[in-house]
Amino acid sequence: MNPLYVIFTLCIFTAVILSAWFLSNHLFSVFGKRKSRLDRIFDPVDNLLFKLGGVDPKKEMTWKEYFLNLLILNVFQAALAFVILNFQLYLPLNPQGFPDVRWDLALNTVMSIASNTNLQHYAGESTLSYLSQMMGITFLQFTSAASGLSAAVAIFRGFSGKYGGIGNFYSDFVRSLTRVLIPLSLVASVVLVGLGVPQSLNGYLLVKTVEGSSQMLQIGPVASMTSIMQIGTNGGGYFGANSAYPFENPSPISNWFEIFLMMLIPTSVPFLFGKMVGNRKEGSTVLISAYAIYAMNLIAAFAVVTTLGQGMEVRFGAFSSVFWTVTTTAFTTGSVNASLYAFNQIVITAAFLGMMIQSVPGGVGVGTMYMIMYIVITIFIVGLMAGRTPEYLGAKITPRDVKLALIAFLQHPVLILIPTAIAFSTGAAAAAGAGNNPEGFITIFYEFTSAAANNGSDFLGTAGNTAFFNISTAAVMWLGRFIPIALMLSISGSMSSRIRNPSPGLHTDNLTFAAILVVSILLLAVLTFFPFLVIGPVLAYLEGHVNGF
Amino acid sequence: MKIPEKFSAPLRMALVSMVLCGLLFPVVVTGIAEVAFPYQSVGEQATLGNHTVGSYLIAQEFNASVFFHPRNDSASGVDPDITISDAYSQIPGISNATGLSSAILMNTVDKFVQYTMISFGTEYMNVLKVNLYLINTYPGIYSHYVSG
Repeated sequence: MNPLYVIFTLCIFTAVILSAWFLSNHLFSVFGKRKSRLDRIFDPVDNLLFKLGGVDPKKEMTWKEYFLNLLILNVFQAALAFVILNFQLYLPLNPQGFPDVRWDLALNTVMSIASNTNLQHYAGESTLSYLSQMMGITFLQFTSAASGLSAAVAIFRGFSGKYGGIGNFYSDFVRSLTRVLIPLSLVASVVLVGLGVPQSLNGYLLVKTVEGSSQMLQIGPVASMTSIMQIGTNGGGYFGANSAYPFENPSPISNWFEIFLMMLIPTSVPFLFGKMVGNRKEGSTVLISAYAIYAMNLIAAFAVVTTLGQGMEVRFGAFSSVFWTVTTTAFTTGSVNASLYAFNQIVITAAFLGMMIQSVPGGVGVGTMYMIMYIVITIFIVGLMAGRTPEYLGAKITPRDVKLALIAFLQHPVLILIPTAIAFSTGAAAAAGAGNNPEGFITIFYEFTSAAANNGSDFLGTAGNTAFFNISTAAVMWLGRFIPIALMLSISGSMSSRIRNPSPGLHTDNLTFAAILVVSILLLAVLTFFPFLVIGPVLAYLEGHVNGF
Repeated sequence: MKIPEKFSAPLRMALVSMVLCGLLFPVVVTGIAEVAFPYQSVGEQATLGNHTVGSYLIAQEFNASVFFHPRNDSASGVDPDITISDAYSQIPGISNATGLSSAILMNTVDKFVQYTMISFGTEYMNVLKVNLYLINTYPGIYSHYVSG
């Protein structure tokens, strides 16, 4: 490969990591509740929102209160968005006059966006009104990212033991929006418009082309969604073709800017973790472990040459398309800038691994949360081997912690494999066009892996718009989203008041532990999923379908 | 009916966040976009004479053999670009149909080269930009093929 590509990749990583480090200082002042010069601007805004919401942001919550408020808020938000989609014909800002969205598709859509998944069984440009794109989709993309970030900082507080509890959900939620996600998205939106992403409420434009045929230019509030969909690792696009569609991603520059946006917060949160637990090296260990596996995935994906082919956009070329696909699954964003059918089985396997592990580095907030889950399991295994009491950050890891962490780990394969089996045994897979062959298996296996990992990239697309897949993936997405958050909050809640041992037996803030963690994550993922990768991408590869299907 | 206290805070917060993120945010971005980037915010529209004939970002169909043609397959289905090698392969046909020499057409293509990695990588060009350039530069040849 041309060395320029390697240099370019290193430049991107450097830019992301430096920016993420600076952002983590800001995040620390927002969630570590330190005074900041920005308070003079943001405090009045936050206080107004707390007043309108009728909440007391200073009230300390137990983990159960924190979780239930998060869950109920998410239910109400999804319900409001459902009403917007289901009655869009009778609501304003529908210049194309799109009919109401059928209930099962509307249900799948709002549960998909609210769970930070953004699996899309619809093509937005021909299904959703402007109001639905704004108050249905963009709205939930903000709030799901804010929910993930809130859960993560609450978990960090408990694990650190320095905050006297895990905090107040509404305080974290509102601050995530006003001080992090909205300012970042505002800047990113304006940059994206400058790079050619439309932002307009004037309705689609019918034009006569050079040779006189009719063409519809589907302009709308695209930039205001494209920014948060990448920053919030949501991934659900304005258009069915997602970030392959030129209005969502017009040029190579916009392409790399969007890759930067999706990497930014997930790279920043491990730094924040280190600062919140009072030892920056704990954060670097998490980040190095995550990037090590991400880098392995990238190198594997580039081991086989991918050539510019069908299903890829010319302006991005093969390199950017492969880079995007590995990154969007490693960061569980799920936006796509090329059809998944364009890629060879090694790229697809790398994509699967990102979604199976969920923390390399994973989505906004929850990526680091999953990393802490792996750390708890790893420390338990290492403790067994060394015959020591397992400890993390000076606190004992109890049998209950390990049990909850293991349930959080095991819910993932359960939510993927059982629905996949049901889809094939009931004929639902065949009805959506997936045959009893490796390609058909990959299609359905990928669908539920993506749903459970809250990723959102998929092979099915609008073919998944059947009652079976709308309802089954909706359930998988919500269980896969909220079960691990509840379990990790529970561990964190009990950790928050635990006695700390100032001189721990096992050091978790160095490269040796990072290496142990990486091996342990790979072993857990491989032991769990290997048989299914064999009958999917590996078998397809052996059958000679090297390049795509 | 009175809403139980447990549900009133999340319900009110859901409504507040919907208005903030789903209405205020996109409307403010639209306002800024229309003032700061009037050309980009409405889709980089291409004009011929005084008429809008499409967007540089969205491929349009060309049937006449005097034009460069976009590809039909691709992820988005409206890929506005072709690789330079694809463009070169179309040159003999266009040269035959227009009488323009291959050298002139190659020079034209070279003027519009872009790179997939911003400054390196695969060379490509925007089909509509090149075709509009040809129409404006050689009106005697092309006016016949352009719709009124």
